[in-house]
Amino acid sequence: MNGIVDTIKDVLKETDLVLGWTTDPVTGMATPARFHDGKEAEQAVFDSTCVHNLAVHLPRLKDSRVGIVAKGCDARSVVELIIEHEARREQLTVIGVGCGSLLDVKKIWRRYGYGVAIEDRGDSLLIGGEQVSRGEFVQRKCHGCLEADPDIYDVIAGEVGGEIPADMAQSHPLYGMFASLTPVERRAFWREQFSRCIRCYACREACPMCFCRDVCIMQTQVPRWAGGAVDAKQSEMIQLIRVNHLAGRCTGCGECERACPVGIPLMLLLDEQNRAIEEMFAYSAGASLKARPPMLVFDVNKDIWGKG
Amino acid sequence: MKFIASDRIDGLLERLEERGPVWAPREPEGAAGTVLFAPWRPGIVVELDRFTTLSAKGLVLPATEKLLSFSYSLTAEGETLDITGADQERGETVLFGARACDARAFTVLDALFGLPPGESYQDPGYRSRRRDLLVITLACTAGDAACFCSSWKEGTASTQGSDLILYPAGEGYLARSVSPRGEELLALDVWEDSDLEPPELAVTDRLPLEGLETKLTGSLFSDLDFWRELTAKCVSCGYCTYTCPTCYCFDMYDEMNSSREGRRCRSWDACMFYLYTLETSGHNPRPTIAHRYRNRIGHKFSYYPANQGPILCTGCGRCIRGCPVGLDIRDVLRAAGER
Repeated sequence: MNGIVDTIKDVLKETDLVLGWTTDPVTGMATPARFHDGKEAEQAVFDSTCVHNLAVHLPRLKDSRVGIVAKGCDARSVVELIIEHEARREQLTVIGVGCGSLLDVKKIWRRYGYGVAIEDRGDSLLIGGEQVSRGEFVQRKCHGCLEADPDIYDVIAGEVGGEIPADMAQSHPLYGMFASLTPVERRAFWREQFSRCIRCYACREACPMCFCRDVCIMQTQVPRWAGGAVDAKQSEMIQLIRVNHLAGRCTGCGECERACPVGIPLMLLLDEQNRAIEEMFAYSAGASLKARPPMLVFDVNKDIWGKG
Repeated sequence: MKFIASDRIDGLLERLEERGPVWAPREPEGAAGTVLFAPWRPGIVVELDRFTTLSAKGLVLPATEKLLSFSYSLTAEGETLDITGADQERGETVLFGARACDARAFTVLDALFGLPPGESYQDPGYRSRRRDLLVITLACTAGDAACFCSSWKEGTASTQGSDLILYPAGEGYLARSVSPRGEELLALDVWEDSDLEPPELAVTDRLPLEGLETKLTGSLFSDLDFWRELTAKCVSCGYCTYTCPTCYCFDMYDEMNSSREGRRCRSWDACMFYLYTLETSGHNPRPTIAHRYRNRIGHKFSYYPANQGPILCTGCGRCIRGCPVGLDIRDVLRAAGER
């Protein structure tokens, strides 16, 4: 089995570029990188700080032969993009990597200062020399992880077949808290959360499936679907529009929540919806190349009236 | 020097609140460790050890600002349009716990929005908010790996834009006034006298900024490949622009309800968006991320200093700390400097 560097070098023989990660010299953490030749590929890494979903770049690279390093969750986005013709399967080489859960690096930085030394010891973390429990600083999306290994891939780099850590088997505690709220309490919860929103649209831009990005309904002038003001009501409205547009398309990669500068737990909304879609249509976005998103093939006569 | 113990800070904040709303850094519940400037009330824990994710620019340039309100009617007698300007009287606001880079950002924005009468457009909203803002700055004895304010001469020791500076010392803070209003604050009965010495302040990353102003409009402007390569991982989100203390791009629009009453507003916008420069004809002068990022850097380090004087950046590092793809503006500036 080849490591990440050799695998990327191999893939580069057949592709124009490979999307992967390298180490940021300032923070020592992974940062996205594009590799064009073997020399650049020497810098490639894969570790528990490779949080970014690189599939977000695929719609802008439709005309290139692209290699992409993908974790289980990233691969689901790749699948969904192929289904929606925003990536071309024949142009893509998916380099699968096994993932044993990722660190919420931003959360660590916010708490301990940007660039603090982080050492992942597997069962605990060493942050700036202080030993802390790992659980608190794992990406929220990794709780209840669906795929430690990608389902679709062309080659595998490094070890796969690892177990999802036991404490990751359950969904995040926040989901339990949220599920216990009444509709009225949920309303108050979201009003409070969205009161922090500054409408920077980072959620949309970081989302691999929000590929309308340059002609988005959130900002169209004619017709004006959403008001321009930055306030909790507007923000809630435009976020609900976004969430609805992702019905049956969101793969749960969590990039929107990770990009949010004010820490709004957006995945609560999406996770709730994803579960509803799964219940209603037995569909899980990005699980299979052969499936079709229910909202794209939905036939009101057949799928609802025809059933009775 | 005047001194206040850490456990007496709430007492100071209560006295400040008598003057007007007090904005101080706090960590909202459930916000994944985010620290924000927010209105303080007794009982709220002030977070002074960590940096805020958002800057304090909203206190002088609100995320949404009503510029005027109007009402329109059309009857058999004819049509009328009543326009009322926004009320600019709101009294003093106190910003507590800003850093030197945050305070200096106000003076950088002053160079455009706060010009003296007769020189340029007078922005009434900005000018009145700025006039009424009292800034209490916390001096930095430590920076983090994203800070680069020492690229400017005074760095962490800058007093620009501040009224009062607090220096961590012993189990509290020494206070020094740097404006007449700061002097007023030192007359409050919350201070003790102290023999403590002010601490040594942090020295942060230094960037070579000389020569950028001409390069960015010259050789680097036409070198689009340079920008393509550096922004390859950028996803063109608004994070950097919205968290920046000096980015001020805005959008203006009218909104009207069904009774034909409406308002004209100004809201934050970002030059990193495709829509920002999309023209009615369909042409877009900045169609790609590389074009837009080139403009962002060019505006900050070349066009703004050429037209207004100061560089439109204070080295606060917010755009670096939170960028979802880890794009570091310093890498871009260093690469530009080496060209």
